[in-house]
Amino acid sequence: MSDRNPKLSASITEAVGRRGLLKCMAWAGAGVLWTLGGGVASSGLLGAARAETGNPAKGAAGSLNFVQISDSHIGFKKPANPDTLATLRETIAHIRALPVQPSFVIHTGDITHLATPEQFDLAQKALAELSMPVHYVPGEHDIVDGSDPRPYLERFAPGAKGDGWYSFDAGGAHFIALVNVVHTGDGGIGALGPAQVAWLRDDVAHLPSSTPVVVFAHFPLWALYPEWGWGTTDAAAALTALNRFGSVTVLNGHIHQVQQKIEGHMTFHTARSTAYPQPAPGQGAGPGPLALPAEQLRAAIGLTSVTSRHVHGPLAIVDRALADA
Amino acid sequence: MPDRRLMSLILAAAMIAAAGAASALTTPGDPMRGKALYGVCMSCHSLDDNDVGPRHRGVVGRRAGAVPGFHYSPALAGSGLVWTPVNLDRWLSGPQTLVPGARMFFSLSDAQKRADIIAYLATQN
Repeated sequence: MSDRNPKLSASITEAVGRRGLLKCMAWAGAGVLWTLGGGVASSGLLGAARAETGNPAKGAAGSLNFVQISDSHIGFKKPANPDTLATLRETIAHIRALPVQPSFVIHTGDITHLATPEQFDLAQKALAELSMPVHYVPGEHDIVDGSDPRPYLERFAPGAKGDGWYSFDAGGAHFIALVNVVHTGDGGIGALGPAQVAWLRDDVAHLPSSTPVVVFAHFPLWALYPEWGWGTTDAAAALTALNRFGSVTVLNGHIHQVQQKIEGHMTFHTARSTAYPQPAPGQGAGPGPLALPAEQLRAAIGLTSVTSRHVHGPLAIVDRALADA
Repeated sequence: MPDRRLMSLILAAAMIAAAGAASALTTPGDPMRGKALYGVCMSCHSLDDNDVGPRHRGVVGRRAGAVPGFHYSPALAGSGLVWTPVNLDRWLSGPQTLVPGARMFFSLSDAQKRADIIAYLATQN
């Protein structure tokens, strides 16, 4: 979220105040760090983990750091950002320069703009500059001809199941990659499909309810703005399978801006694009690229850093614009 | 009279088909509502630029697969369709049903919303 977006900030403050769970306590450049433990809010700056340990090479004891990037749209060349490869490279350089190196990076889709072999090549080459693992989910722009995920799968998720879903464990948390862009629902809204939801139920069946769960997918897994297709038609079926877990963090992309919602023990968060912004929900004609004056672009794109300080607590999420990185 | 009965059946079938085909034309579309609804199309389309989908300005009445510089699926390029309001209504109801092998995977089940969007596009020539 950004102090450049007072309307969004106000909406979050209102939502937070209504639930009484979170309170916005510190602004860090374009982002704010959220920490929630046992229903009590606390907060800190991105560098807080460093201060706690006194060691810039390590985060707080028992913590897990990872970074989310999204919507790099390699191949897009229109005025909203004529060089999306350059801004992806800037983002990667920023990650490489972080004093606390993340354990891994999550890319929440739309790696490319048109899923051509050339665009996939450019994206892979740039992302290979990251020394840590990168876990991907596809966006609808990564699906060849709108229906064939195989070229994406071969390059970015060769071991995945179905259309690209998988899970892994890290730092005591369980990470679940979901695909909601291959079979879209009425009005272009995302869809998971019954096979994926059945897999998800089975995937978490053995986990104790105290396990922090992080779900990531391209389309928002909440009805953020269905009028523009910003949601997932069968998200409720998936989230029901996660209801018993005490901490669920849902990370999405697609909408090229930070939006956040708290529902009980579930936190929904969408990340900025590394390429170009899009309008706020319902603002303007539709969800196309938003062309800003060139000097303002880097304040509207960026990345998200996530820290899990305690394996049983929710995650701290910091959004940073490239201009402030 | 078998022939007369056959003619009656053909006539009845033609009337049913005509009624169905006319649904897009007889469902009044509101271009102002359509302008707002068009936002859902804008993830892939705009009026004046080719992107994931071809530009839309002038689409009503245009031959399918005819926008210069856009790479169409062979199926749509060879469909021979003209984007009449009726054909646009069928397309938005299910592109793969109308043109198997087409690349657009977006559909709208609400006939009124389809009519509104088509009415809006008809004003953008």
